[in-house]
Amino acid sequence: MGRVANLVLVRIAVAIAILSFAIGSLFAWSLAAERNASESLAIIVNVSNTLDSVSQDELRRIFLGERSHWANGRRITLVMMEPGRPERKALLHDVCQMNETDYSHRILHGLFTGELFVSPKTLASPMGVRKFVFNVPGAIGYVRAVDVDETVKVLRVDGRLPEAKDYPLHIEQRTMK
Amino acid sequence: MSDNRNFVSTKTVGAPHGMHAFWRTLSRYSSLLLMLLVCGVSAGLGVFVMRDSRIADMEAQKMYEGSVLGFRRIGELQYEAQETRRSTLYALTTNDSNLQVEYADQSRRADRHVSDGIAEYLKRARIPSEVEVGKRLRDDWSAYLKIRDEVLASILEGSTREAVELDITGGVPTFDRVRQDLDVIKRLYDEEASQQLAIVDESSRRSVTRLIAVVTLTVLFACVSIWAIQRSRMMVALQLARLQMDFVASISHELRTPLSVIRSAAENITDGVIEGTVQLRRYGGMIRSQTRQITELVNQILLFASTRDGRDHYVLRPVQVSQIIEIVLENTSEFVQEEGIILETHVDHGLPRVIADASALSQCLQNLLINAIKYSGESKWIAISATAPNGADELRISVKDSGIGIASSELKRIFEPFYRSPSVCAAQIHGTGLGLPLAKRIAEAMGGSLSVSSELARGSTFTIHLPIKETIQARTAVQELIH
Repeated sequence: MGRVANLVLVRIAVAIAILSFAIGSLFAWSLAAERNASESLAIIVNVSNTLDSVSQDELRRIFLGERSHWANGRRITLVMMEPGRPERKALLHDVCQMNETDYSHRILHGLFTGELFVSPKTLASPMGVRKFVFNVPGAIGYVRAVDVDETVKVLRVDGRLPEAKDYPLHIEQRTMK
Repeated sequence: MSDNRNFVSTKTVGAPHGMHAFWRTLSRYSSLLLMLLVCGVSAGLGVFVMRDSRIADMEAQKMYEGSVLGFRRIGELQYEAQETRRSTLYALTTNDSNLQVEYADQSRRADRHVSDGIAEYLKRARIPSEVEVGKRLRDDWSAYLKIRDEVLASILEGSTREAVELDITGGVPTFDRVRQDLDVIKRLYDEEASQQLAIVDESSRRSVTRLIAVVTLTVLFACVSIWAIQRSRMMVALQLARLQMDFVASISHELRTPLSVIRSAAENITDGVIEGTVQLRRYGGMIRSQTRQITELVNQILLFASTRDGRDHYVLRPVQVSQIIEIVLENTSEFVQEEGIILETHVDHGLPRVIADASALSQCLQNLLINAIKYSGESKWIAISATAPNGADELRISVKDSGIGIASSELKRIFEPFYRSPSVCAAQIHGTGLGLPLAKRIAEAMGGSLSVSSELARGSTFTIHLPIKETIQARTAVQELIH
């Protein structure tokens, strides 16, 4: 009688374990899928900016200060997040293809040589970036795709929006590496 | 029987408690009615004053909404406009982009309040000058916001010098225009407030005047009403007093005359002046006659007093009128003979019975008959008739004479207690003035009425109207059936 009871309890425990594993896997998978989709890095500009799309090369030139004005003659204002932020790391790696130190050296060099008129504006939060871009017609910045709202305009990068599968700019992949 | 077509009728058959009863009731409750009337008038005037006060209150409310709230709104607008500019300028004081963004945000929040305030002002603007200045403010504010945006953008870009230049060349003059517009609006509110205040002041003054007028009118009305009722009562009391004095004078005369005769006769008998059986019998008859006269007089007064005090309790039962007439004729036969009256009686056969108190009805008819004897004049002719006309639900007992008659001006007063016509007094026809009022009261107490028709020098006809028993029973049966 005791052995039968033990057998039943063991079976129940095994069933619960299998069920828990299945549910946990499913949850983790869905979470990962969501993270992958939401961790795109969106490039944002002021809504009055006529530019809709930009290539990665063009983006690199802008953020390195090699291009100082928009097509309409308005000065470009770079908006960066504080050093150490995943968004900044992702931009430096994917767009500028350099690390924090190299980028700092590059900016200092540009200011020293006069290639750069104004150093990039550094803001502490995605909301600050968004508000800055909203207030300055020539500003360009970046935030996570989930932090975008209607006050700013999202640029296509290589013709793709952040929701696209093959959108080139992501955050979490870079941080995981 | 004389022709009745020319006679004047003063009573309506079947309406014993008509207008007279109404006026009597009205007179009895006059104080209560006056109080109710004054209360009603006061309530009506109170409603009027309250309505007036409410209108004044609404005007004050309108002034508050139009001016006081307006001042508050314009104050808020001025503050938010200053806040918009102040926050923009604060952004110039720092190089921290995060702080600059925060100041820019504050400036935008404030400018939204200003824009909403201007839209609200335009929505409430009524007069053309308000609309005009509202639109000008809206345009000036939009112009300022454009410059403000440029200034903010320059500050955030780090171009401080550019931002200051923009503000000095564009922002300052534009903002000055905005400030001037707000001052104009404030002045307009000030003017409107002054006008509203004048209206409220006028309304308040009008209300006070009306209130005073209303209170004065109410007091005046109450005083006049009280005076009128008191005067009416005084007149009635005076009239009653005069009648009572006349009555006392008359009654003393009526009592004194037979008493003198009786005393004189008694003294003559006592002194032995009277000799012989014939003379003794004559004096005895004189004493009996005078005694009967006094007795009747006293009975009349007592009976009237009892009916007046409401102490009369009649026993109503079916009565044959022919029997009543016989009793009355028997009671008065001696008097009729003495006066040498030619009395005709016409009683229809098979008359229905009436509901009445036999004794009271006899008294009533007897009063009418004695009255007819007194005033039958030289003709000395009286007719008593009892009929039940076909279709009528009443029985009529009439006492008709062809005597001196009653003037039409007197007809209205003959049923007043103690009233005696001056012509009758002058003719030295004795009476108390109670016979007819008493007869009328008795007739009405039995559910009937007493009517009179008369013409001067042609005679009078008094008719007692009594409800027939069968009709009453039929009515009662129908009422029971309905209920």
